[in-house]
Amino acid sequence: MPASSLTFAFLLTVCFTLATWLQPWHQSWAGGRSQSGSLLDVVVGDSRKLFANHFFVRADVYFHSGYYPSIFDQAIGGAPHMTAVQNAAAGSEAARESEPAEGTGFLGPPRDWIDKFGRNFYPSHHSHLDKPGEAREILPWLRIAADLDPHKVETYTVAAYWLRQHLNKVDDAEQFLREGWRANPDSYEILFELGRVFDENRHDVQRARNVFELALRKWQERAARDGKQNEFLLEQILAHLAEIESREGHYEKALSYLGRVKEISPRPDAIQRQIDELKKKLAGATSNNNSEPPQGGKN
Amino acid sequence: MKSILKIQDLVVEFRTREIGQKIKVAVNHLSLEVFPGEVFGFLGPNGAGKTTTMNVLLGFVPATHGSAYIFDVNVREPIARQRIGYLPELTYYYKFLTAEELLRFYARVFRIPRAEAGPRIDEVLKLVELNAARARPIKTYSKGMQQRVGLAQALINDPDLLILDEPTSGLDPIGRMKVREIIQRLKAKGKTVFFSSHELGEVETVCDRVAILHNGELKAAGRVTDLEEKYKCNLEQAFLKVIGYQPGL
Amino acid sequence: MNNALAIASIVVKELYRRKDFYVLFVLTAVITLLMGSLNFFNDDKIVRYLKEICLLLIWISALAIAVGTSARQIPSERENRTIFPLLAKPVTRGQMIAGKFLGCWLACGVALIVFYLFFGVVAASREHQWPLASYFQALWLHWWMLAVVIAVTLLGSLVFAAPSSNATICLLVIVGILLLGRHLNKIAIQMADPMSAVVYGVYFVIPHLELFDVRDLIVHNWEPINWLVFAGATLYAAAYTAVFLFAAWLVFRRQPLA
Repeated sequence: MPASSLTFAFLLTVCFTLATWLQPWHQSWAGGRSQSGSLLDVVVGDSRKLFANHFFVRADVYFHSGYYPSIFDQAIGGAPHMTAVQNAAAGSEAARESEPAEGTGFLGPPRDWIDKFGRNFYPSHHSHLDKPGEAREILPWLRIAADLDPHKVETYTVAAYWLRQHLNKVDDAEQFLREGWRANPDSYEILFELGRVFDENRHDVQRARNVFELALRKWQERAARDGKQNEFLLEQILAHLAEIESREGHYEKALSYLGRVKEISPRPDAIQRQIDELKKKLAGATSNNNSEPPQGGKN
Repeated sequence: MKSILKIQDLVVEFRTREIGQKIKVAVNHLSLEVFPGEVFGFLGPNGAGKTTTMNVLLGFVPATHGSAYIFDVNVREPIARQRIGYLPELTYYYKFLTAEELLRFYARVFRIPRAEAGPRIDEVLKLVELNAARARPIKTYSKGMQQRVGLAQALINDPDLLILDEPTSGLDPIGRMKVREIIQRLKAKGKTVFFSSHELGEVETVCDRVAILHNGELKAAGRVTDLEEKYKCNLEQAFLKVIGYQPGL
Repeated sequence: MNNALAIASIVVKELYRRKDFYVLFVLTAVITLLMGSLNFFNDDKIVRYLKEICLLLIWISALAIAVGTSARQIPSERENRTIFPLLAKPVTRGQMIAGKFLGCWLACGVALIVFYLFFGVVAASREHQWPLASYFQALWLHWWMLAVVIAVTLLGSLVFAAPSSNATICLLVIVGILLLGRHLNKIAIQMADPMSAVVYGVYFVIPHLELFDVRDLIVHNWEPINWLVFAGATLYAAAYTAVFLFAAWLVFRRQPLA
């Protein structure tokens, strides 16, 4: 048999053997990406999460008008930069604590004349989008981040905060949160933020209560299933529930919520003061009820 | 009579790309002179060193030893090229330009005032019979038309010395005849023409003097008639004798 | 100067007779307008992302035009043999380098004006303001950055064998400087000697092209740069451009053409 035919037959055998070996391996490797119906999923794969994170950080960059540490600044500075846009959404105290004081910053003093000269050509002073309506500039990046990674919950909560609190776009905030909830049905973070929409913006107490209670349930379910959860957010949920009940005059319920807050709060004294005030109110309310004449008394 | 072009003991060496970097001698101690008003033929087989010599005259290649002068100015000085016109063997010009734009560009390089440049361009385009195509981009021209554009740009500054490298290469018989006519017209005007060619029939017709180069060395130089008389044959056979060609080997 | 300007005029003619600039401009415009048509939470006043995208596209296009045009100038003259009739005229090699540089630079300048006008219109359509001083500074600094880029690429075209390899290497170096130039000193701090010294050396030697990237200032509506500092940056770019052009002349003047 001629050598060329033997070689061809050999190569054919090798190819067939490789194919039988590679095929099952490839199927297990391709996994969800190849079965996904989303074009973005197939094309980009898991790197969409990286992009989503990048665009989320981009929103923070925009919040600081471009004044932002690079990865090299962070490498020298040590701690990663906390997103101010996220902290503002979480609560003003956390934002104040994490943001550097005015006048200092990640840049530090210039290291050489090029560094000094170069600071004239990029944002080198701390800044926020504080003027009314300016916060709108962060929205495109949050929208894109949500599209790329619908399971990144903070994208929805942060965007919703800025939409409702600073841009007076309550409808858009609610719609966006609902979209996030559809993608993340177990997310107590999104539910909490939704509850705030109903409470603080729509003043719909009943719906706010329902949503906060659902958020609390979700928190508990996830804690039981997955272990440790965000206790700060649990504190916030309970505090809001306590406040709603207090406003509605349901002091006992409010007290039970505050009791649970005190167990996990880093400032139990302050919570205790709230409990004491509430107890006074409860006592006052009870004595009022006792002093009122009974309806329909004897002649 | 003072020479218009003077080459003195010119040596041009190139390093080859072979291992060990051999040196190739392209021009070997060449000396010759060209006088005003004459048509000088520069002959030799392929690889004789004709184009290399022209490249030295035009400043494209530095000489290893020796020197060359045009109008008593060393060829290394750009001003030496102010009064010359050059037609390369392979004519390529900016294809995105029209003939008129190309000539206007070269006129500007020669610092010909605008008022003079316009009529000069018209005259030259008429001479090379490209008036009708002056506004078309050069990329649409045929080979013959491109050759004529080359001649036009060589004449734009009304040069006193014309250096032509194989001016009739690739031309049809009519084109070759036109080039010969232009050379004779220039000679009648008192211009000097220095050109290389393989067409010995043409050289015989137009040249006053010739030089024959072989392997970088000057083998013979003088009037065409003197060479024919010396070798007792026509120029072609004299050429073959000078370069040592023996038929059948 | 006359010869350099004459050669420059040919380069400019070549650029606007090629399709590169028009294709890039149309691409920039289409992508920008497409991005501008997106609806983010029913807010039509959002503008900064659009400015950023438009400026990014302008920078990419300008780099493509600058590097692409200057990388092929001298090699194509050699390949097409148009260099011979040119240098057979009373034109020095230095004038040719200067002419090619001026032509590429002026052509890029015209292209930048068109791009930045478009940018200005897009930004003004939403912001309803035209910070002319800032825009002028951005355009001017961008143009001078391209001067350095063109000079580097012209030098590269005399050193590297093929226009494609020259363009690739130059683009890599330029993008590397734009992304990392500002941070090399921070990288050097974290390294041990002798690498730290090497990186610091590179930091001080390279032209800091990122100085001319003021997109963040434009996007986020910062105040214009101090005019003295602005003049200093111009001088900085001019100095580096002169150095690279001088180096190109040194290389070119001894190169045999044939």
